[in-house]
Order: sequence, then C-alpha cells, then structure tokens
Amino acid sequence: MNQSLSNASNVYDDHQNKSRDAQRKADRWMLPGAILMTTAVLGPIGFPLFLKGMAMQRRALLDGMSVRPMICTLLGYLVIMDSGLNSIGWSLDIFAHHSLISRTLVTAWGNMFDAGYFWHYNELWAGGAGAPGEKSWEYSLVPTVFCMRLAAAIGFLQMKRWGHQWLIVTCWFGVIYWVGYVANMTIFADLRYANIVFPVWGWWLYDIFYITPFLAIPYLHTVNREIFSD
Amino acid sequence: MSQKPTVDHDRRRRRALGVFQILIYGYLLTMWGIQLYMYSQRDW
Amino acid sequence: MTTSSEKQLPPGTTAPNATLHKWLQRGLFVCLTVLALEGTFTFPGLMIWYGFPDLSLVEMCSELAKVRYSDDARECIFLYPLFAPAEAAGQTTAQDKWGVQPRPEYKRIGFRELVQIRDDRLARQAAAKQADVGTR
Repeated sequence: MNQSLSNASNVYDDHQNKSRDAQRKADRWMLPGAILMTTAVLGPIGFPLFLKGMAMQRRALLDGMSVRPMICTLLGYLVIMDSGLNSIGWSLDIFAHHSLISRTLVTAWGNMFDAGYFWHYNELWAGGAGAPGEKSWEYSLVPTVFCMRLAAAIGFLQMKRWGHQWLIVTCWFGVIYWVGYVANMTIFADLRYANIVFPVWGWWLYDIFYITPFLAIPYLHTVNREIFSD
Repeated sequence: MSQKPTVDHDRRRRRALGVFQILIYGYLLTMWGIQLYMYSQRDW
Repeated sequence: MTTSSEKQLPPGTTAPNATLHKWLQRGLFVCLTVLALEGTFTFPGLMIWYGFPDLSLVEMCSELAKVRYSDDARECIFLYPLFAPAEAAGQTTAQDKWGVQPRPEYKRIGFRELVQIRDDRLARQAAAKQADVGTR
C-alpha cells in the first residue's frame, strides 16, 4: 500500500517536473520573441521565435503535460507586447523627443496617421507631441497603467492569483484610457487629422489592434480561478 | 450533487460581459462614425 | 472511464464558456500577429514614403520640419545639444487657423513628395542665385 502510494506520488512528481520543463522550454523561445516584437523594428526576428515557442507549448499540451492553457499564454504575451509597444513609443516622446529617431520617425508617423505627433512637434517646453492633452496622457499612463499591465502580465503568465487579479484591474484601466484617448482625438479632430496622409482610416486601422483589454476582460471574468495559484 | 451546467449568477455575469462588449465597441464605432462624418464635412 | 467524445476543454474553461474562449483566443492571436507585422513594416514603410534613400534621415528630418513650420530655413541639428531648449520654442512661422480647436494649414505630403519638394526648393534657390549673380 505504501509502495503503491509512493509510486503514485513519484509518477505525479515526474509528470509535474516534465510539465514544468516543457513550459520553461517553450517560454525560453516565447519571451525573447515577445521582447523583440516589442521593439517593433526587431519584430521579424521576434515573431518566428515566438511562433516556435507557441508550437512547443501546443506540443506539450497535446502530450498531456500540465502547462499553461494556450489562451493564457497568448493573453499574457500580448499584454506584454501591447504595453511594451505603447511604452516605447511614448517613452521616446517623453525622454528622447530631440533624438534623430524621434524627430524623423515619430513626426513621419504623425504626418501619416495622427498629426498630434507632427503639429508643433518639439515646440512645448516639455518637447515632443504638441497636441492638446497628448503629453498629459503620456505622463499619466506610462508610469502607471503600462508598467502595471506589464507586471500583471508577468504574474499572469506565472499563473499566479495576483497576476489574474491585477490583469483584471489593469484591463479595466485600459477601458478608461481607450475611452478618454479617443474622446480627446475626436474633440480635436481638426488638429489630429487635417492634411495628413491617411486621415481617420490610418489611425483606426493602425491602432484598433491595441484593444487587448476588451478581449481580455471577458476571458478573465469567465475563467475558472482555480487554475491560478497563490 | 450535480448542478445545472449554467448557474444563474454565471448567466448573469456572461450577460453583463456581453453588455459591456456592446457598449465599448458601440462607443468606438460611434467615435469612428463621428470622425468619418467630420472628414466628409471638412476639407481634411 | 467515460468515453470522451467531447473535445477536451482547456484548463480553466468550463463548457458554457468554451465557444467564447475559442473566439477570444483567435482574436488575441490576430491582434498579436498584426502588432508584430505593424512593428516590422512601420519603420521601413515610413522611410520609403518620406524619401529614403534619396533623403538621408537628417535630410528627411529637416524636410519634415520645413513642412511642419512652413519655414524653408528650418534645419534639424543632428546631435541636438542635451539641455538646450525645445528646438521650435518661440517659432512664429507655422501656419494654423487658431481658435479653441486649432486647424493646421501645412500641405499633405504624398508618396516620396518630400524629395520633389527638396529638389524644387534647391532649383529655386539656384535660380535665385543665378539671377542675383546676373544682376551684379
């Protein structure tokens, strides 16, 4: 009886160890892939790495390993990318507005999609985007919600209870900034859209894919919380 | 001790989440619509 | 042991939420892919639209600044001094219709039009110089 019990626990431990290894191996590809994609320009290198990690994860799932559900993986890494991409763009505008890359790339992007990043660029004492409200959004969101989302995503990927909870909080936060940011753009639409290359269409087609919070909220509220540990 | 597959609070939660999705995408569509209308009226 | 004819649900997903989770997963993957593609093509795409390689990065920066402030004399100083004031602080040349909702009046820049704009300006300046030399 004791023998069979200890055998059973050995088999269980073995399975747990194998699962943990499989997850770690997959993450070793996905995390660098996600980080590279977050730098935008190194995305072509990051995306294949990420896909390879995803394939390994899927393989482990099919083999019956106790690894993270695929949707949690996608959600966690997407939130990292979403907040990372936003943070990089806005950090450039907050701290590096007089660098060549900002003055060329950011203003070029602005001239094409959203003149908030072109109109009177680098005229404010604070430098960077001159559109009404834009700098305020940057100062308020970068050190708060984008950092918090990044931390929550990491905890979520580790299947921690606090990660799940804080991802819920920060995704609702995301609802607030989407509502506010779009409202600001609409009120000052003349400034944001007049005489740019792709008015209205450009910004929406470009930025609609940052709606991660809206996709995350239904999942986070309907997932069984038992899969997240303390 | 089997429960119905869909418990009442679960159903209410899913309905609330559905309402939220409709509201938020409705808001985005409205704002997009307003911007498109402005685009058609003003010489951008 | 039950004969599982139903597909196995991922951990955390209960049967009533299976469809919702399946579509959310697809949506998330689409967003991730598109973000990766956007990140990849934004920089090269912008550079090509705004005149690279006919214009170097610094020249592109200067041309954009000229359009932005409607001022042919504006240049981008590369390696902008670290603690200097904002490069356009106090500018007076920008064309805008001011009011509570300002409206800019710079011209739209078409595909590789910055190169044309630069070439036209250089031609004009050369012609003006010729005329100047001629009258002496």
